[in-house]
Amino acid sequence: MDGWHARILRVDLSQGTCQVEQIDRQILSQFLGGRGLGAYLLYTEVPPQVDPLGPDNLLAFCTGPMTGVQVPTGGRSSLSTLSPLTGTVMDSNSGSQFGVRLKWAGYDALVIRGVAERPVWLEVDEQGGTLHTADDLWGLEIPQTIAKLHDKGASAVCIGPAGENLVLFSAIMNDEGKAYGRGGVGAVMGSKNLKAIRARGQHRPGVAEKEALDFVEYEARKMISASPRTSQGLPEFGTSVLVNLMNWYGVLPTRNFQQGEFEQAEAISGERLREEFLTKRSACWSCPIGCKRETHTATEKGEGPEYETIFALGSNLGIADFETLIEANYLCNRLGLDTISTGGTIGCAMELAEHGLLNSELRFGRADLLLSTIEDIAYRRGQGALLAEGSRRLALRCEAPELAMQVKGLEMPGYDPRGMQGQGLLYATSNRGACHLRGNMLGPELLGLPKMLDRFAAEGKAGLLIVLQHTSAVIDSIGMCKFVNFAIGDEFFARMLSAVTGTHYEVQDLQTAGERIWNLERLYNLQAGFSRADDTLPPRLLAEPLEKGGSRGRTVDLDAMLGEYYRFRGWTQDGVPTPRKLDALGLADLDKRPAKETIHA
Amino acid sequence: MLEQFQKFGQDLFARGLTSSHGGNMSARLGDRILITRTGAMLNHLTEKDLIETGLEENDSGVMLASSELVVHRAIYQNTSALAIVHVHPPIAVALSLVEQDAIIPIDNEGSYVLRKVPIVQAELTTGSKEVAKLAAKMLREYKIFMLRGHGCFSIGPVLEEAYQWCSSLEEACRIIYLTRLLQLAQVGVPALGGAERIEFRKHSEDYDKW
Repeated sequence: MDGWHARILRVDLSQGTCQVEQIDRQILSQFLGGRGLGAYLLYTEVPPQVDPLGPDNLLAFCTGPMTGVQVPTGGRSSLSTLSPLTGTVMDSNSGSQFGVRLKWAGYDALVIRGVAERPVWLEVDEQGGTLHTADDLWGLEIPQTIAKLHDKGASAVCIGPAGENLVLFSAIMNDEGKAYGRGGVGAVMGSKNLKAIRARGQHRPGVAEKEALDFVEYEARKMISASPRTSQGLPEFGTSVLVNLMNWYGVLPTRNFQQGEFEQAEAISGERLREEFLTKRSACWSCPIGCKRETHTATEKGEGPEYETIFALGSNLGIADFETLIEANYLCNRLGLDTISTGGTIGCAMELAEHGLLNSELRFGRADLLLSTIEDIAYRRGQGALLAEGSRRLALRCEAPELAMQVKGLEMPGYDPRGMQGQGLLYATSNRGACHLRGNMLGPELLGLPKMLDRFAAEGKAGLLIVLQHTSAVIDSIGMCKFVNFAIGDEFFARMLSAVTGTHYEVQDLQTAGERIWNLERLYNLQAGFSRADDTLPPRLLAEPLEKGGSRGRTVDLDAMLGEYYRFRGWTQDGVPTPRKLDALGLADLDKRPAKETIHA
Repeated sequence: MLEQFQKFGQDLFARGLTSSHGGNMSARLGDRILITRTGAMLNHLTEKDLIETGLEENDSGVMLASSELVVHRAIYQNTSALAIVHVHPPIAVALSLVEQDAIIPIDNEGSYVLRKVPIVQAELTTGSKEVAKLAAKMLREYKIFMLRGHGCFSIGPVLEEAYQWCSSLEEACRIIYLTRLLQLAQVGVPALGGAERIEFRKHSEDYDKW
């Protein structure tokens, strides 16, 4: 079967067993793979009430029909789990070659549950899985761990000390800084006593209609090379190209979102990164864009930083010492930490300390404390243990929950929504908490994609955001990168998918699949107890106008947009999908909510 | 929203994509539609020319709405479109009367933006259920299509994009028309040069499969 293998490798760490099983092609066709397949597995197998760090939670590494197929950016894969940080459905997407090797080993998904008695690492190949003792790996940082597992024809991911110590925003990574980054997936892996996974696969998947794929791929590459975002901005500067641009718009979060303009932005800009710290460009597997950076400081070398890291550990902390910021990024990569949540939590701690609500030396601008604070978090040393729980729990403990810049527990990315109304609606409604990768409004509100809209207007944003949310779910599920969406859209994805799988997908079929995935994720969150009240933003963004910069005087008009959003979605004004909507998406049979609630909806 | 309708209505007329009283536009507002009034002049839209009515259910708005309301509704019910433009671009309409299945642009811009614009035909070409069904089907796969001898329907997440596809289509058709004219002229006037159109695009033979 082209596109999918219809095979899942299931690993039970409690039992020490590995088993290959078939999966119904209908499920793959409906949920596509990647994030969609992960949402299906999570929804059908893990009640959201279980302990995310207990044996009943699962880690589902899912590939898509494009993963490992030589199409532009066809190297992505997804990891789904119940998040210990947010309590929501969680998926983290990565360009690590691990997903490609997993696909080439013959699996659409690797599903891991249970808890091993002692630390282990897992080897996956075409025959199945094998567990090995990991006593010699436990305690090692990411690069040392990956180095020990290095083998030609294979690719490995692992957790670092942060995951071992169950830091709620720890990541699963490889040695190139590529991560399944958000939501504490590293802690879930750590809780299972699973240090690393190595996938070995050589068998490239077949393509049903090669000539058709050649043509679509040729056209796609033309579009990618014709777009200045994908052929110039991202290749030349990486994502850090956004620093000066976001600052100019007045949406560069500064000092825990107290401001939207950083007076020293130039010092941490993409232009400076290129001039002083760039070693060379790099790219994920099969990516013609190449936004990754190999960089160096006077004493260290490594990968990145990305724009999100520069904002989180730079402007958001009032830090303009770029060398320290870059080394803090390397440190997070070695220890296995999500840099956005690390910066968001430290920023929260800095503001709490400045208000006298946290007994700490942390202050905005204290670059000298950055590296030691990150280490304290990863090893849960001293106050680091408190920060390791994320900004929401930290601020609650200090009785100032309003100072945590998060939604549903996930720290916010680097775009102040007071200067982008639609982005505010995105953060509030994203199923995994504040996230810029679930239908980014950066395109229509700041970059003019597909068309430039008035970024301060609330009217008319809901419908467009929903379309983008569905497209993002599709891209995450088929195994491609969102950056390619700067150049090509659904019409290309549908034709590529049709050519690879041999099953005809209309463009609209993909939008419907994206909507199906989004609604299933919503059902999971509703079961977990989330409601309209959680579709909100930190009070600062709703009530405190920015005082200066390109978005001066603005707050987010969320209420107006949220009602429109629910109406567009065919949900009740409580944010619950109606039976009619679920029926139209083929989800009615999966809905496990009590009948009363369903009828009420 | 009125401002958007006015802006693109004026552009559609100024570009010659529609006559004084032809064409219509709409935007989806959740379970409601905002559509131009029947007989409205796209070049002179006022607040009273925008009619709000239900996406699925009739109300008094249908008394004033464009005669193509049934087609707009079917499109919204079957696709993720948030905006629709329907106009009668003259060269595209002319080409739809001589091409069999599709208009395939031959110029660079048309190829990049459109690749292929399918043509369908109906017996009752205005405001009919037959067209509604055809339009919903075509726009699940394509962003714009031609109704033979009538005009084009295009969709987008915003009005501007739906407008762009119409504008691009007419330009692509104009280039096809001019090129064929030159080829014709060359039969009698050899001094104008070779008679063959020179293909510059790799995979040009594949566009009809898009």
